[in-house]
Amino acid sequence: MKSTNEPRIIAVVIATGIASVVTQLVLIREFLSQFQGNEIVIALILFSWLTLGGLGTLLARPAAGGRLATLQALHWLSLALVLFSTPTLFGARLLRDLVFTRGVSVGFYPTFVYIASITAPYALLIGFLLPLSLFGLRSQRADYPGALVYIWDNIGDVSGGALFSFLVVFWMTPVQAIAAAHLPLLAAALFLQPSGRRPGPARMWPSAAVFLVLVAAVAAEKATLAPSQGELAHYRETRYGRITVVAQQELVTLYQDGAPLLSSQDEASAEEAVHYALAQIEDAKRVLLISAPAGVMEELEKYRLESIDYIEVDPDLTEVLFDFNLLKRIPALRVIHADGRAFLADTSTSYDAILVHLNDPQTFQTNRFFTDRFLSLARSRLSEQGVLGFSMGGFDNYLAEPQRRKLSSIYHTAKAEFSDVLMLPGERVFFICSNRPLQTGIPDLLRRKGISTLSISAYYEGNVTPERISYLRGQMDPAAPPNTELAPYVMRTAFSEWFAKYDSSPLWFMGALACVLGFYFWHASRVEFVLFSTGWVAMGSEILIIFAFQIFFGYIYFQIGLIVTAFLAGLLPGALWGHRRTARARRVLVLSDIALIGLLAATFAAVHAGDRLGQAFYLFLGFTVSFACGLQFPAALRLRGDDGRAATGVFSADLIGAALGTLVTSTILIPFLGITGAIGALMGLKLLSLLIAGTLHENLVAQTISD
Amino acid sequence: MKTLSRRQFLIDGTGWVAACAAAAALGPFTACGSMAWAQEDISGSVFKGDGPKQVWKWSREGYSYQSLDENRVACLICPNHCVLSPGDRSVCRSKVNVNGKLYSLAYGNPCAIHIDPIEKKPLYHFAPRSTAFSLAAAGCNFRCLNCQNWEISQAKPHEVQHRELFPADVAGSAKQAGCHSIAYTYSEPVTFYEYMLDTAQAAREAGLRNVLISNGYINREPLVDLCRRLDAANINLKAYSDAIYRKLNGGRLAPVLTTLKTLHDQGIHLEITNLVVPTYVDDADLVRRMCAWILKEVGPDHPLHFLRFQPRYRLDRLPQTPVSTLGRFREIAVAEGIRYAYIGNVPHHDGNHTYCHHCRRLLIARAGYHIREVHLNASRCEYCGTAIPGVWA
Repeated sequence: MKSTNEPRIIAVVIATGIASVVTQLVLIREFLSQFQGNEIVIALILFSWLTLGGLGTLLARPAAGGRLATLQALHWLSLALVLFSTPTLFGARLLRDLVFTRGVSVGFYPTFVYIASITAPYALLIGFLLPLSLFGLRSQRADYPGALVYIWDNIGDVSGGALFSFLVVFWMTPVQAIAAAHLPLLAAALFLQPSGRRPGPARMWPSAAVFLVLVAAVAAEKATLAPSQGELAHYRETRYGRITVVAQQELVTLYQDGAPLLSSQDEASAEEAVHYALAQIEDAKRVLLISAPAGVMEELEKYRLESIDYIEVDPDLTEVLFDFNLLKRIPALRVIHADGRAFLADTSTSYDAILVHLNDPQTFQTNRFFTDRFLSLARSRLSEQGVLGFSMGGFDNYLAEPQRRKLSSIYHTAKAEFSDVLMLPGERVFFICSNRPLQTGIPDLLRRKGISTLSISAYYEGNVTPERISYLRGQMDPAAPPNTELAPYVMRTAFSEWFAKYDSSPLWFMGALACVLGFYFWHASRVEFVLFSTGWVAMGSEILIIFAFQIFFGYIYFQIGLIVTAFLAGLLPGALWGHRRTARARRVLVLSDIALIGLLAATFAAVHAGDRLGQAFYLFLGFTVSFACGLQFPAALRLRGDDGRAATGVFSADLIGAALGTLVTSTILIPFLGITGAIGALMGLKLLSLLIAGTLHENLVAQTISD
Repeated sequence: MKTLSRRQFLIDGTGWVAACAAAAALGPFTACGSMAWAQEDISGSVFKGDGPKQVWKWSREGYSYQSLDENRVACLICPNHCVLSPGDRSVCRSKVNVNGKLYSLAYGNPCAIHIDPIEKKPLYHFAPRSTAFSLAAAGCNFRCLNCQNWEISQAKPHEVQHRELFPADVAGSAKQAGCHSIAYTYSEPVTFYEYMLDTAQAAREAGLRNVLISNGYINREPLVDLCRRLDAANINLKAYSDAIYRKLNGGRLAPVLTTLKTLHDQGIHLEITNLVVPTYVDDADLVRRMCAWILKEVGPDHPLHFLRFQPRYRLDRLPQTPVSTLGRFREIAVAEGIRYAYIGNVPHHDGNHTYCHHCRRLLIARAGYHIREVHLNASRCEYCGTAIPGVWA
């Protein structure tokens, strides 16, 4: 007979899934705002979350059948989770300036420890609650299948993911989102009663107190955003990140994800972005801007342009730029909200100049604007005399090795597309590319055009001397490979540069990780290894598929949200289907491993086929990968005996695999092996898993890898 | 085979992960000093056992050091006063103890060489419109979080690409390039003191002038020796606050103040820069106190440059300095009695120009590194005849 508490525990599981996914996504954005996100930082956040979740699950093992596995414990721990939620966010936001020197960016280890420490209480508890819920269900019904908890959890995850991607991100601030996402859990926990009765006043008070904490957090949110100096003039969470504007005296500074992006007193950036390129052209008429520095329109107005197409992916950003006069509305201007690369692929307009103003390629998203295919695309949209201008982080007096390799790679990539590539040194190194001869004497060119400037006229001849131009050109390494879509060499060197900047090395971390993993593998069961590899492949595939999608179709928020949702959504039917076929558990594991290898092969084909496969294919691919992953969980539980120990082992193997899959795929496999190599590595891992799955015995529940 | 129980694995594994995380995490923290318990003072420390076994071609025995017991040596060049056992490397990364002798590894191997306008240093009252043959070797005795040359200042000599240019060759190259002076700059010249001293001597003999662009973190005795060959200096007085020096730069204030006094006493043309870092150095009271010290100890005639902060290196999450803050600080400095206060890193601002301290008329109009107008007769104001401090030819 079904206990009255069974649906209430299920409600807790689903509500925990919703809360955890929303909190995870909100925290990712928060940490990115605190630690200028390159791909390593993004991976570290996910790694910490998933590893701590896995550890929390393992920690639940002693609770199986013990005193903790009571409804009381589930009730109080659920309340604790709600209670920890907003302080976790505030901790991430407010402790930074207490822990680190105000205004400094920090390197790998401080970032990792900070993220892991802040998220630890919440993530451990999340991991702990899932098996505890299973034990709770088994206290109601002894034969309750572990796979069903996995399914309920997936329903919560999918709902939380969809809620965040298509609702929360448009309408709510981070604290509001977290508070709202925890309300279902608060309600579900309230109704958890050992006797199955309605909650009395003694139960109401703690829940009411926790509710008040959520309300107080929402009320306090704005105060936590106050800058250390000046006045917060604007704050908005957009689909693409956090935008804040701080006014200090007459200076207006726009921050994107916590780092100063544009300021109202930065003539140099606008002048360099415009005049280094346009000074080369006799009679420019049509200009395309892919993002833009403040004050750029005033500089463009100095040319008699017929049209200026300004592409910005984030409509909220352009609104702020215009509202705070960081950009001026001028007659020839047309603002287009789109992914710059996608726009360029679709347009038939021929431009006299394409000016790209983006951060350095430290993420897959920005790297798409520094590759051979993008440069080729840009060239194809330029008029015969047209010029492409873009820049990367520069240097004052000495070109250090990682940066030398990075600039060399970009130089060779550009040189393959354009007959003349001019590099102008400075705080940013400007690449001016054209199929016509280019000149270095920018002030002279501007004087001849009758164009006056503030910064170029004052500083160019002291900063961009022929000797410095020649030094930079002479430093280019002829052996540096080009930066391609499938082998993003520049990202690899950007990572080296990042580590050099903080005088640290990832080797300590990798060594420690390898030791822990070796130890884990030695003692993990074979089934757990299969699940571990599946978690790894699931996250690795997701990263690869999103990366490939962005290359071919651009960063389209809605579609990428759909892909992420598809990756969550496939788990549920997979798990349901797998649950019905537990009698042939080993065969399910083997066949789903074969399917995953096949799907990785399909991913390989997709990245080589370009945009011919269509956007729907990527959605389908994401769904089927997660479907195959979902299939394995019930089978694995069946093979491991489906007791409390098995559940925690299998749950944690999946989470730890996912954690490593995220970290290793995005920061090592893709940058160092390229896309093809990364897919090959994932296939290799799954082949190993297949080998292990193929040699399993149906009833050997705890067979270890070393056995 | 004996296997661990699950519980034992969990306990051991958790402990192992914690130990690894702590080892991995705390090691870098102590090295880079970026966590809270270390952030009040980011001073560097001696690199134990990091030095080479043998010196290389670009070495010179130190000019100012003390031999101690057990083959240890104490470097006497800068206030860090590194005591090095054999095999150790100094805080600045350029000095090593090899078999009981102190050697500089930065001698004749500059990693950055450029020809810059003298206004870029900035030196506004020293040979205007001239160019300086500017060079640097690797290393620095500070750990500034906003260093604009961190690639060489926070590197060891063998870690950077360098050219071979011994002192006599430097002078020859500078003359060939038509430069009026040699500037020891970019990283921290105090760390390549021996190279700088010998090059300055060769430059003097070749009729060139010598310019020091430095954080001023040097002991008095080696500085006095250097002053015999030095013509001008720009010292970066980073903040008139010892706490900020320790927090953002990894140094101390007092030795820098001593350097300013020494340069003044030795008759070296001296200009002072103060980088106005938002939320740290942009404090009007701090500026007033700094100006009061300058007036009392070295007088009103040394130009003072308030430089605009740009987010750099690790201090890249602060905004730029508002231009009006720089303007206000310049006004404060002038009101306090500093005769020549300037604003740097802001093109086309009145604060770039030189005005006669007596009649307040425009003497030199600047646009960045360019000089557009000069109203000086020799070294006097064209309008009122007041002598303007500086080296004008």
